This record gives sequence, C-alpha cells and structure tokens, in this order.
Amino acid sequence: MANRKNDFKTNLRQITFKALKATIKGVLFYALYFVLWIMFLAPAAEIIPGLQQAVETFVMVYVFLIIVGELTSGTIFQYFFDAAKALFVVCYLVLSLNGGMLGVNFQNVSLIVDLRLFLVVAMLLSLLGFARSVLQAINYMNEKAEYTRI
Amino acid sequence: MRIQIRMIGIATTFFWIFLIAFFVSAVYSIKDVHFDFGEPQMSLTADNEIVFSLPVTIANKGFYNIGSFNITTEISDEKGSTITQNSTSISVIRRGEEVNTTHTMTINTTDLFQSAQKYLFNDTELKINEKVSMKIAEMIPVQVSTNLSIAWGAPLYNFTLRETEYAAYNQTHLRAVVPISFENHAFFDVAGTIQIRMYNNADLFVGEGQTVIEVSQYSSYNGYVEFYVLMNKMTYSGRFEVYFLTPFFNYGPLVIPYG
Repeated sequence: MANRKNDFKTNLRQITFKALKATIKGVLFYALYFVLWIMFLAPAAEIIPGLQQAVETFVMVYVFLIIVGELTSGTIFQYFFDAAKALFVVCYLVLSLNGGMLGVNFQNVSLIVDLRLFLVVAMLLSLLGFARSVLQAINYMNEKAEYTRI
Repeated sequence: MRIQIRMIGIATTFFWIFLIAFFVSAVYSIKDVHFDFGEPQMSLTADNEIVFSLPVTIANKGFYNIGSFNITTEISDEKGSTITQNSTSISVIRRGEEVNTTHTMTINTTDLFQSAQKYLFNDTELKINEKVSMKIAEMIPVQVSTNLSIAWGAPLYNFTLRETEYAAYNQTHLRAVVPISFENHAFFDVAGTIQIRMYNNADLFVGEGQTVIEVSQYSSYNGYVEFYVLMNKMTYSGRFEVYFLTPFFNYGPLVIPYG
C-alpha cells in the first residue's frame, strides 16, 4: 500500500516536472521568436504580405511539438515527435519559401529573392536532426532491450 | 552511442544558430544599404548617338559585402522588340564603401530611324524594363524589376508635301515650289537640311532642291523647297525622294509619289 502511494507520488512528481520543463521550453522558444520578430522581422513584415501569419503558424506548430515531445520524454514517442519536428521544418520551409524562389509585387515593381542556397542548408540541417532522432530511437530501444535482458 | 548522438545534436544546434543569425543579419543589413539614383542626363555624340546617363550612388553601410551588383535597362517598342539594352555591373561593393557609377545607354538614331521610320513620323510609346540585381552578403541573390512606359514624340510628325506649284522660269525650265509641313513632337530641336529629288514616271531625274530647317521642340514647321526642273522631262506623275540631314539623324530616301 505504502509502495503504491510512493509510486503515485513519484509519477505525479515526474509528470509535473515534465509539464514544467515543457512549459519553460515552450515559453523560451516563444520569447526567442518574439525578440527576433521585434528586432529583425517586423520591418520585413511590412514589405512582405503574409510573413507574420506564416511565421506565427510555424512557431505555433513547433511549440506544440516541443511541448508534446517534452511531455512524452522518457518514452519512444519522444523521438517520434522529434523526428516529426525535423520533417515539419523541412516541409514547412519548402512550402513557405516556394521552393526557394520568393516573389513579391508592389504595383509594377517586382522583387525576387533566391533563397535556394539557404533552403538547401536548412533542409540538410533538418535532415541531420531527423537522423539524430532516428538514432536516438534506435539507441533507446537498444538500451531498453539490454535492461530487459538483465 | 549517446555521446555521438549528443555531438550530432550540438553540431546541428550550432549550425542552426549560425544559419539563422547569418540570414537574419544579412536581411537586416539591407536597410543600411542606400541607393541614390541621380538626375538622368542626355547628350549627343558626334556619331549621331543619343547617350542617356543615370548617375547611381550605392552606400553599403550594412554588415556584409554586396556582390554582383547589376543594373540592366532595356528599351523596347510596343510590340516588345528590343531597341537598345545595356548593363552596368559592379563585382563587389565592400561594407562601409560608397560606390559611384554611371549607367549609360546609347541609341544610334540614324540606325534606329533607318530601320523603323515610324519613330520619325509617328508618335508611339516605348517600354522601359529596368532590373537591379545583387547578391546580399555575396550569397543571397535579389532582383528588383519594374516596367515603365514613356511617350516617344516623332520629330517629323505628320510630314506632308503639299501640291507643287510650277511657274515658268525660262524656255527650258520651270520653277517648282514644294510646300512642306510637319510637327516636331520630339524632345530635341530638329535643325538641318531637307533635300528633295524629283523623278518622273520613267524614273528620270527631273530636278532637286533643298532647304535649311530649324524647328524647336514641340513646334510645327511650314516651309517650302524651291528648285528648277526640265520642262521636257516633266510628266503628270512621278515621285519625290526626300532626304533629311540633321546632327541627330540622317534619313532617306522617303518616297512620296505625286500626280
């Protein structure tokens, strides 16, 4: 009976700790976005229509994946969400940057920005993150199998 | 394996921070790059060429160099055929540097009018396609382009030879007076000579004359060319060949039938 109570307390403490950690990570990420937005991206948003919406959607989904990933830490699902986060970044960059060629028109002036190099580097880094998540999942399963055998 | 995975994580984070910091600072530094396009100037060379000059000043006060700076101007007619095109390039504008350059474009008016006489006699619209491209931080290509239309005023708009008047001069010759009229819609004065050659319907040369003209921009001209023709070579029909000789352009023959 006493053991069960202790288990419950430990689990509650773990969940609370995870939730706290997830909240802190989410808040920190959002704060970073907020600072970057005010300092650098806000002037660009006045020129590029839809930039704010696109960036906010990205931040929302990314923060969600951070929080869910953190809440599921210590399980195999954490690595699934990490992999999902990396793939989301790749897909989001390809779609939002229109394959790396961004075009904006104001009246009869057109602006074209070629971000293909940036996109390639970002995709490679995201794929590296994806590979890392896969390796972590394999490592997790490996360690779990070792403990089970012992 | 944990250490290796952690190292991958650290390296990935480091590169992400580097990439984002570089990209954001490169975009941010654009606001410190100042472009100043001066007053466009126009001049005439001894080879009948109009030279358009556009002084450009680029002050790069950003964090990075600007690479492959290029200005391209293309002038085309209303159908899209290119009349003239020119580019001005600067390979690198270093940070903190101020570069002054002049973007020039040349139009050989004699060649232009000889190939397309509509520019001499008809008002039309010219399209200007202006492109400015550069590489921010020598890495991120950016291109700004715009299309403009400008009105082209013909220097010999509505050029007309009215009814020729003949008067007896002596027993063999007649005095012919050919009235001329046109409007100078061009941005430049038309000064020079108009020469008229008269041929009969058997293609035989009958006579020629010329007159000096001086017509300021946006004004009309009414004058005449007087010359003597052989009476026995005169026919009821034939043609005039008109030649224009000015410092801006030489054009001819403009064939106008009579009779």
